[in-house]
Amino acid sequence: MPRLAPATCGPGARITTLRKVLIANRGEIAVRVIRACRDMGLPSVAVFSDCDRTSRHVRMADEAVAIGASPPGDSYLRIDRIIDAARASGADGVHPGYGFLAENEAFAAACRDSGLTFIGPTPEAIARMGSKTTARRLAVAAGVPVVPGTDDPFGPDVGEEAIARAASRIGYPVLVKAVAGGGGKGMRIASRPEDLTGAIRAARSEAATSFGDSAVYLERRLARPRHIEVQLLADLHGAVLPFVERECSIQRRHQKVMEESPSPVVSASLRQRLTEAAVAVARSAAYTNAGTAEFLLDEDGRFYFLEMNTRLQVEHPVTEMVAGVDLVRWQIRLAQGEPLTLSPSDTLTPSGHALECRVYAEDPAAGFIPSPGHILALRTPGGPGIRDDSGVEAGADVPVFYDPLVSKLVAWGEDRLQATMRMRRALDEYEVRGIRTSLPFFKWLLARPEFAEARFHTAFLDELLQQRAGESFGAVDPSLEEVAAVAACVVEASRPAQVAAEPSRTVRDARRPDSVVRGWKARARLEGLRA
Amino acid sequence: MRFEVETGGRRRTIDVQPSGADWIVVVDGQAISANLAQVGSQWSLVVRRIDPDRGVTAPALGRPGRSHEVAIESRGRGEHAVYVDGHEIPVSILDPRNRRVRGRGGSTDATGPSVVVSPMPGRVVKVLVAPGDVVTARQSLVVVEAMKMENELRAPRAGTVIEVRVREGAPVEANTVLVVVEPDPE
Repeated sequence: MPRLAPATCGPGARITTLRKVLIANRGEIAVRVIRACRDMGLPSVAVFSDCDRTSRHVRMADEAVAIGASPPGDSYLRIDRIIDAARASGADGVHPGYGFLAENEAFAAACRDSGLTFIGPTPEAIARMGSKTTARRLAVAAGVPVVPGTDDPFGPDVGEEAIARAASRIGYPVLVKAVAGGGGKGMRIASRPEDLTGAIRAARSEAATSFGDSAVYLERRLARPRHIEVQLLADLHGAVLPFVERECSIQRRHQKVMEESPSPVVSASLRQRLTEAAVAVARSAAYTNAGTAEFLLDEDGRFYFLEMNTRLQVEHPVTEMVAGVDLVRWQIRLAQGEPLTLSPSDTLTPSGHALECRVYAEDPAAGFIPSPGHILALRTPGGPGIRDDSGVEAGADVPVFYDPLVSKLVAWGEDRLQATMRMRRALDEYEVRGIRTSLPFFKWLLARPEFAEARFHTAFLDELLQQRAGESFGAVDPSLEEVAAVAACVVEASRPAQVAAEPSRTVRDARRPDSVVRGWKARARLEGLRA
Repeated sequence: MRFEVETGGRRRTIDVQPSGADWIVVVDGQAISANLAQVGSQWSLVVRRIDPDRGVTAPALGRPGRSHEVAIESRGRGEHAVYVDGHEIPVSILDPRNRRVRGRGGSTDATGPSVVVSPMPGRVVKVLVAPGDVVTARQSLVVVEAMKMENELRAPRAGTVIEVRVREGAPVEANTVLVVVEPDPE
């Protein structure tokens, strides 16, 4: 049972100086945190599972500790082993990244009990926000509107008739959501009363498997809402600072695939109301360190608090780009007890516009199925306004055990149009061979008029994909097909044919099929062609 | 050298011959010149149209061409994955002797049983059908979890399940046969 004791913060908080930070994560976010540590002159400790022995985060960190077998339950979710790794390496700070143990209050408490500084909120704040119904009550108490729904959870013993009565009070379509849920898991839509029983059963079963808690609650499903969220930083001395909002309405099956800041539809006055609401929710939870308050914005410009994420978000770079801050560095400084010294006028005035594409190891041409495997070649884009937060490189294997995110491509521009053009340029520069990625999908999406005009809502992408009915994203210009055919033939013609029976590597000169020359000579001729 | 090539559902006849530092390439009767230079594991290809007035012998110096980034992965038996400016384009170089795609065969038989395979390695979380079940086209048969996501694998056509080869909880490799469906007669 999560304790709801007040957070240990206030003017008396001491300033500690961290000496070494263990990163309880993997992939791009571990690389991101290691970079911030290095920028601050802080030694870093990576942890790794069996299949991550040669992963980039392990080789980048100053120290590395093996923590078990590849399935997350045997390694990255093992609180005991991560605490042991911190002790053994002499780390005094722990950064959880996102996912895995980042929103697990038992982990934050275990760090505290072991004398380690958890770089994130208190276990109490994590517990408060981890329960969606508690978070809703806190928001209501703070005077922040929430999506109409049920205030109390329906435990596993509550019958379907009672839930059905609540649903008809709220009105259809209604969402059945797991109290412990997140990331679109344990969530089902009932469009009509007849769908409710199936939706409750499916949400409960998924919630029980994913979160070990089958309690659910109901929320009215808004028509065509946009997802708007507010990044917050809060120090141990009572200061809470909001940033310019992010918009994350482009989602596939409730998973964000693209984010931007600022939102193209949020006015200065709406921004003020949104950020004030976010601060009110954070204060009511005695929140510290970095967090994000998520809202839905309806077509009439009304907003509703959805939930608070008690961690660094995947999409934090877009905020960093328009605010000119390093949020991970601030997380570390705030965990050390340092006061927030940023000015609200800076964090609430966007400098330019930033977009982020989540590059996943999945095949958009085959219904976005996962595409783990060996990366044969990788060329990442660069140049003005481009940032690639990647956890992989050429020669790496993308394992099957974890999230398919391999990189986050971020583009900054003076305005949204320039950011879009830079992103499209960077997507063209980006090359990955060996595994399939969502890059072709993003090239297609960014060329759509709906994207240019920012005409989207949280179900927009799913609707658009449904209309396409599996049509390929790689609709290749026929002139490129000809180039491909020509290239294959020329390379074939210039390739010295391998003759297996000749140990002296005698090859035939492809340009003179009758001639037989020594391998090095044919090679030399070829090199001559590569002027 | 002459090649028969299939790409994008279209067959082309391509003649390739060296000419100084370039290659003269004739695609279905249209002549172009190509300059190919290796860069690490990939190629830079500059393609120029040939000016009919000056002919193929005109020097390349000063003539503009289109610049492409190319990478080629051989999949064996004439099958290639060619990447042009980041677009993956499958190219089959047909066997010059019989003009058939090399190594093809074993493709799905339109009348035989349909085999549903796992497209990626993962773990079977749900088996939704049993032998004897009648299924509709695109009906979900098996749910395979990989990379934290559940993927529903569906029936390619309407028919009857004649075999289920996996159990819930079992790990599967890519291309593991999960379910065999006997399609309904057309």
